[in-house]
Amino acid sequence: MNDLARRAETPQSPPFVSVRSISKSYGGAQALRSASLSVFRGQVHGLVGANGAGKSTLIRILAGLTQPDGGDILVEGKRVVADSPHVANKLGMSFIHQELAFVPGMTVLENIMLGIPKKTRFGVVDWGAIAKDVAPIAARVGVRAPLDANARGLSTAENWLVNIARALVLKARLIVMDEPTAALSAVEAERLLSIIRDLRRSGVAVLYVSHRLDEILELCEGVTVFRDGRSVAELAGPDLTRPAMVEAIVGAAVETPVIRTNPRSLSERALSVRDLARAPRVKGVSFDLRKGEVLGLGGLVGAGRTELARLLFGVDRPQEGSMTLEGKPYAPRSPSDAVRSGVGLVPEERRVEGLILSKSLAFNVSLANLQSIILHQALPFISGSRRKALAERAIRSLAIKVPSAETSVGRLSGGNQQKVVIARWLASRPKVLILDEPTRGVDVGARAEIHRLIRHLAADGMAVLVISSEPEELPDMCDRALVMREGRIVGELAGEELTRQRLIAASYASAVERTEA
Amino acid sequence: MSGLSISLRRLSPSAKAALSVFARYATILGLGAMIVVFSILSPEAFPTFNNFINVLNQASLAMIIAGGLTLAVVVGELDLSIGYAASLHGVLVTGLIVHDKLPVALAFAIVLALGALVGIVNGVIVTKLRVNSVIATLGVGTIIVGLAFAYSAGVPIVAGVPEEFLQLALGRWLFGIPNPIIVMALVMAALWVLVERTAVGQEIQAVGGNPIAARLAGIGVDRIKILGFIISGVCAALTGTLLASRLGSGTTSAADSYLLTAFAAVFLGSATLRDGEFHVLGTFIGTLIIVFGFNGLNIFGAPTFSQYVFQGAILIVAVALSSLGRMLAES
Repeated sequence: MNDLARRAETPQSPPFVSVRSISKSYGGAQALRSASLSVFRGQVHGLVGANGAGKSTLIRILAGLTQPDGGDILVEGKRVVADSPHVANKLGMSFIHQELAFVPGMTVLENIMLGIPKKTRFGVVDWGAIAKDVAPIAARVGVRAPLDANARGLSTAENWLVNIARALVLKARLIVMDEPTAALSAVEAERLLSIIRDLRRSGVAVLYVSHRLDEILELCEGVTVFRDGRSVAELAGPDLTRPAMVEAIVGAAVETPVIRTNPRSLSERALSVRDLARAPRVKGVSFDLRKGEVLGLGGLVGAGRTELARLLFGVDRPQEGSMTLEGKPYAPRSPSDAVRSGVGLVPEERRVEGLILSKSLAFNVSLANLQSIILHQALPFISGSRRKALAERAIRSLAIKVPSAETSVGRLSGGNQQKVVIARWLASRPKVLILDEPTRGVDVGARAEIHRLIRHLAADGMAVLVISSEPEELPDMCDRALVMREGRIVGELAGEELTRQRLIAASYASAVERTEA
Repeated sequence: MSGLSISLRRLSPSAKAALSVFARYATILGLGAMIVVFSILSPEAFPTFNNFINVLNQASLAMIIAGGLTLAVVVGELDLSIGYAASLHGVLVTGLIVHDKLPVALAFAIVLALGALVGIVNGVIVTKLRVNSVIATLGVGTIIVGLAFAYSAGVPIVAGVPEEFLQLALGRWLFGIPNPIIVMALVMAALWVLVERTAVGQEIQAVGGNPIAARLAGIGVDRIKILGFIISGVCAALTGTLLASRLGSGTTSAADSYLLTAFAAVFLGSATLRDGEFHVLGTFIGTLIIVFGFNGLNIFGAPTFSQYVFQGAILIVAVALSSLGRMLAES
């Protein structure tokens, strides 16, 4: 690679975009205090930091979605005011957010061209000519789906590619990517990274926001670290190392997770699943989950894990198979059925599925605990003091950063929002708790806290099932892990076998077998 | 992204806070200003105890139906059947008493039960058949118009209405206060406690805020939505009954116009004290604004057309204020 050559060349030209001492507060919370960073053309610049460090706020400001209270934004050396997404686009900035926006009913091409002025013939949109222009761009970024395919069928990975194609059609000179690989499998992520390298070669600047430090090291020339709304470190060249980044992100050492309990010593079954199936994603799954155990469910994205969780929680009903909960038949017809039986779920998409964003922390935490905060069984009135106590216990035991229990959760950072969803189930003490991607988009510090919390719940006798796509996560906190692939459980790892390498090997080895068969 | 919401974001935080306070209290200020202006312009007729009791009495029927509608909108649905349903229930309760010679209390109970039934029908169509609530309740409302005509052949039931039934709305059983005011106060207090202070109320608010998250938190979303429609239906029946008693007759389409009043009140209410969120206390204030406005127009002998203009305009202003509140909350 000619990384060194590129670094030598950049100082001569001004950065494409430069942010100077930006500050921003929401209500009482100071999201950004004094944040600065610069991104040069033809470079991938990393932005890392804990949840709540101010990364998302900075992106929103660049995108024209919110206005800073102070500080300057310079594009090619000139001061600009990006006060709407439209202006930001005109300045040559494109944004691909964590939660991808697309219109499911439209074709891939229509999604790429959404809101972009189109070529017309006699006043009618000339899709043929547009397709001719877009096709090479789509091919370049590796969109494999035909342009006229319905976007509904696209995987998350392909959606990213479609969004990158869109940015190129918009002639973006800076593409900001927020956690691009969070929902991707290892293979998909590798493909995306090589496409980003390709973009860099063509002179596009990329601001790359991620919690995956290995990717950052592999990809970025320079890195800015945010902590508590400030840019606390600029790392490049020989200074850009993993320990340096972690030190800057955390500001203090992160504790190592707890020691694994021996699953063999836990005999009492909490949940037994036999031959559970629902087409097309779950094709006959059997396993036992024991009391006091943290059971991981690994595998590639799309293996059917979320769909399995939906069956366990009564969101969907199985077509075949059966379940027992503490020895009794368990066939939930709805989530409320599942909750009554003593099963809880922390869903994958916390903003969409987990929280009522306009409501307060106290409201959201109390939702699954209404019976515990009423005055009396016969008097179903909410007790203000019990509600407050419940919320404050949650804030304390999960170290949630929030001005008050009555702050609406829409204003919290991702990690804190996730803690609120988990807090809901802490108080109601279900027999079985299912967590779907509990630390997605959560920073190193908060992740360790969440892991510790999950271990703690299991130590208290809860049976915990954790779904995770991050290979490091399951060995960190699980007693035992199952690997799922194409709707079936294809492997089980426990004790010393449960390592990152073995997990990955298990999910891919079976894939090879299947393709050979 | 609308132009207004972008210009809102350009405002400084202090200007935004000021605007937010203004938006929250604008309706209450409006109500106060209206009372002051009417009092100055008509010092003999308007600011009297009797006129205030009179206005409250008039407001009561609209208030009850709007209070019920609030529950439907809080769970995230619209109920367009309430006006027609109230009319039908008015005809029905009169008919049951006059033609079928049922005791007033029994007829009253039957009609309230039917109100609940209309709510169940609305709720089941919306939650189980997944029909958009605007369409579902418009359809049910139209069917109800048909039923009212079938029952009465379009002829008002006037003759033979017993005094006992008339006393329901015209009587002053407690402290000389007209009965509708008492009923309204009880209904609104009960609805407020239900939504703001009970466990079910928390579920109702959760379903309105994010039905997906509410479902995954273990709340029976369909059950809660049906409950919202039931309360809306029962309140419509109550308003219909009181109206028939006040008019002394069962007349098809007598209560139809309450639909618009109720919607205006509910949306004005959502812009009151909160940022575009529907709530019972807001609906209370919203209804007062509308009824005081009508009362003022009446006292000054404003022509009939101006009342329609007032009602249409206030509906639009109400919804605009409500979305302004939401935009402020989000920006």
